[in-house]
Amino acid sequence: MAAKKAGAGSLKLAAVLDLNEASNLHGKLVSMRGSDLKIDASGVERVGVQCAQVLVAGVKAWEEDKKSFLVEKASDAFQKTMQLIGINNENLVAKEI
Amino acid sequence: MDMNEIKEIFFQECEEQLAELESGLLKLNDGDRDPETVNAVFRAVHSIKGGAGAFGLDDLVSFAHVFETTLDCVRSNKLEPTQDVLKVMLKSADVLADLVSASRDGGGVDESRSRSLVKELEALAHGGSPSSSGHDAPKPAAKAAPAPVAKVDLPKPSDDSGFQPVPFSFDGFGEDDEPAIEGSVYEVSFKPRRELYSKGNEAALLLRDLSRLGEMSINCDTDALPTLDKMDPEASYFSWKISIRTTRSEDDIRAVFEFAEWDCDLEVKLAEEASSNEELPMVPVPFDLSILDDSAGGEDEEKTAERGVSEETVAAAVSAAETASNVSRTARAAERKESAAAAAAAQNNAAAAAAGAGQTIRVDLDRVDRLINLVGELVINQAMLSQSVVENDATGTSAVNMGLEELQQLTREIQDSVMAIRAQPVKPVFQRMSRIVREVADMVGKSIRLVTEGENTEVDKTVIDKIAEPLTHMIRNAVDHGIESPEKREAAGKDPEGTIKLTAKHRSGRILIELADDGAGINRERVRQKAIDNDIIAADANLSDDEIDNLIFMAGFSTADKISDISGRGVGMDVVKRSIQALGGRISISSRPGFGSTFTMSLPLTLAVLDGMVVTVAGQTLVVPLTAIVETLQPEAAAIHSFGANQRLISIRNSFCPLVDVGRVLNYRATQANPVEGVALLVESEGGGQRALMVDAIQGQRQVVIKSLEANYTHVPGIAAATILGDGRVALILDVDAVVAASRGQSMKPEMSLAATG
Repeated sequence: MAAKKAGAGSLKLAAVLDLNEASNLHGKLVSMRGSDLKIDASGVERVGVQCAQVLVAGVKAWEEDKKSFLVEKASDAFQKTMQLIGINNENLVAKEI
Repeated sequence: MDMNEIKEIFFQECEEQLAELESGLLKLNDGDRDPETVNAVFRAVHSIKGGAGAFGLDDLVSFAHVFETTLDCVRSNKLEPTQDVLKVMLKSADVLADLVSASRDGGGVDESRSRSLVKELEALAHGGSPSSSGHDAPKPAAKAAPAPVAKVDLPKPSDDSGFQPVPFSFDGFGEDDEPAIEGSVYEVSFKPRRELYSKGNEAALLLRDLSRLGEMSINCDTDALPTLDKMDPEASYFSWKISIRTTRSEDDIRAVFEFAEWDCDLEVKLAEEASSNEELPMVPVPFDLSILDDSAGGEDEEKTAERGVSEETVAAAVSAAETASNVSRTARAAERKESAAAAAAAQNNAAAAAAGAGQTIRVDLDRVDRLINLVGELVINQAMLSQSVVENDATGTSAVNMGLEELQQLTREIQDSVMAIRAQPVKPVFQRMSRIVREVADMVGKSIRLVTEGENTEVDKTVIDKIAEPLTHMIRNAVDHGIESPEKREAAGKDPEGTIKLTAKHRSGRILIELADDGAGINRERVRQKAIDNDIIAADANLSDDEIDNLIFMAGFSTADKISDISGRGVGMDVVKRSIQALGGRISISSRPGFGSTFTMSLPLTLAVLDGMVVTVAGQTLVVPLTAIVETLQPEAAAIHSFGANQRLISIRNSFCPLVDVGRVLNYRATQANPVEGVALLVESEGGGQRALMVDAIQGQRQVVIKSLEANYTHVPGIAAATILGDGRVALILDVDAVVAASRGQSMKPEMSLAATG
């Protein structure tokens, strides 16, 4: 799904979303609040639970703001890990056609 | 780091865990019922098992496993830790220790002993609770646990591309197709704590490993997640409810969490088949998780393009899923409340335990020794430097002098700190003794309790290492000879259970270790007779009680009626005495017939430095250990009294004290010195009582680095060691007790001269 609104931010996730990246990612998300966000998870090779926590919290925050928060592209590793750890939040599942 | 090094670390940790295990068991034995104590004990065995498993030490693992199972019964209050139970457990701890050392050093263990213990442990586990023994027994699920049924068509792994559609469509939800795999369904509830992540574990990897055991459905509980701005990115908020169908046992499931178990709340239970009707939505996990192992990031553009899921389907599926998960949330809410309090308590305990344990590093002992040696040289060098400055600067007020004083203080502090590195509590040695008491008492059919006191007294590691052997010997002796048999004790009106008390304390710069038993005491008649039979003393020798008691330290002495394999081979106490002396220590015995004997060992705290008073005797420079000196005084002619042929006394504040002419005793001069011209050092000797050592002059007080005389030259009676003074000359350190003993007319035979340094 392409971004329809203008002024949307985009964020490319790091390849390794481990414990060390969690704070970083959190900081980035906090700074990008207030506008629509497209997330590119295509380069992700490894996802730790703590980054997943940050992302889920991000989804909730964007919902609150009534802005869109979408994962546009996702690598298999990203998808599988999300699935493995039981995160089925629609916003975190890539849905471009 | 190669495998051997890692293994070595494992064994070091085993030592610590074994100590923890033993002290925990002993606490339980004393009536401590703190769940944290039980946990600590369990943890110790568990960690040993875990590590042993990693190294393939199968004997160790299988024994630890049985032990652990029984401990688990205690932990879950299915087995009351009675004295009998703890007796078996303590024995098991001993066997575990044997197995550990057998694994490390090779050599065998007493197979029959460990086998019978395994049986006993298993009996306890089974007897304690029929359901608790063996994890394989089916357990009733206490709560209506969610079962894994939201079966969605699992994607077929296509190996060539690695591509796999993601089954987030929930339209298959509610279908009741039975899983294809045979096996049982386990409910796993897994809630990691922050520590799990901070220790480098990753919940996702644990879940991946879990998913490999069988067919797994997972539900992630994100309720605890705070809002984005309030969250701590490194904390742990998610928890999981997993249901897994597997042919493996519950143990296998637990094994996945083996190394994370202490950092998470984990519950594994067998789900009842019936409960599978209450279906809760779970996301099934595909089996092919290879993608997580190797990063194949480059292909996903192509893959995502292939994914043909329409937007509408997604939306529908998502709303369905959300409704479903709301349902499951309410279902779980009540359950969560129940466990919340317990979980909080457990977490607090864990936090307290973590805070209590200080941070430590392991350092190779050689490095510490090298440092200590260097600091010793530094001290000598600093002393030499200050001496040469003083010699070249008569005024003594220059800035150099000030600086030197500061340097001196710094050196001193460095030295103290370095020494503190080597200081260790005597606890591990004492703990080993309790095992010896148990084993030996068992062998001779006596009932004995070991009471220890002052385990935290610190002393140099070398001293600790070397004290263990003589102490073992003495403990064996005390159990075998000291304490009477229960019948005899009862006949004598004593508690049939004997007590051995082991205490450690600091006293005037030395460590004092006392071993007291409440047995029969030394049979002086028999000791005397034995000594006469063995030609140790003349038949008509007139000995005081004290002297008779001390005969047991003579070589070739044993009073045991029959030689047992525990003690009494006639190589006992003289060996003990020699090893204590080699450490610069002394040993003495006091005994009251019918009430028991007390052995007192006095050992230097460190074998490296000593505060001494530098004195001159007949032109020679000697160092007297400062700890021995009570006071110094200038004798007056009126205070000196002659006593007998060549003994003199000095009167100090209305009491008389024998005067010992050091120069005469050491044969530095042929005639007695005039006391009025010298200085008297009032010293306390080990046997109690004070003596006045007469020296010619006092040069000053100094910290000296002890250099062994035996290692560099040879043993000299009356001299404990040597040191290097500031001017580079060697000075001898006086063995006060040997000199005092010599002054009493006892000859300074090598074995009589006590290598006193402190």
